Amino acid sequence: MIAYKFLGAGGVGPFSGFAWPLPRGRSAGPWVEATPSLCSSGIHACLVSDLPYWLNSELWEVELDDPVRSTRKLVAGRGRLLRRVEAWNRDAMCAFAASCAERTAALADGSDALAGYSADTAVFAARGQASAAAFVSARAAETASGPAGYDAERERQARWLADRLGLCT
Amino acid sequence: MKLADDLTCADLVELVTEYHEGALSPPDRQRFEEHVVFCEGCASFLDQMRSTLTVLGRITEEDFAPETMDELLRAFQEWRRE
Repeated sequence: MIAYKFLGAGGVGPFSGFAWPLPRGRSAGPWVEATPSLCSSGIHACLVSDLPYWLNSELWEVELDDPVRSTRKLVAGRGRLLRRVEAWNRDAMCAFAASCAERTAALADGSDALAGYSADTAVFAARGQASAAAFVSARAAETASGPAGYDAERERQARWLADRLGLCT
Repeated sequence: MKLADDLTCADLVELVTEYHEGALSPPDRQRFEEHVVFCEGCASFLDQMRSTLTVLGRITEEDFAPETMDELLRAFQEWRRE
């Protein structure tokens, strides 16, 4: 199965600190194996719909062997990096953060309760802090319309990413 | 995740040892990691903890001079009293 995985700079896992073996040229990276156990071990990746929860500096397309779907993630016993999604770069992060700030500003229009969220999102967007802007934007939506609002905003963010980055959904 | 389920930065600091030891339940681990994604301060803290564990994880009791060990034990005992 083809899925997506955010990594830190240089292909390093943000939680494990594991330095992923990178693809060379047009060849996929070598397979990496780990005992699949939800959250604690295994090869973790996600679907496009889950991307907004795991933003980081590098986005990779990965191949997973027989993954299991869990809340906002996939876990498998084996996976390998196929290619880096080059379109996820500094410009895209800033544009994504700006879209979150615009969305929050629109929600906050005329609402004192949401003004703080809007101000925070604008600051994060100005700094290019995409993950923080996305989170606050979703929280603003939840404050405005309950948990369904949070989910709807995360879905909007996922659609934005899929469109901008040309990802298969 | 609902607003009430959010971890604060202080919660995360309290849970970091259990996180590294794999002692958190899957939902708590997920909340922990989702917080780290959007909070740069906690991401840095987690990095520092990982680096510290990597370095200190190689040290055994035999690596300490007896007087250093006494000093450490004294410091821990005083910390507990506080």
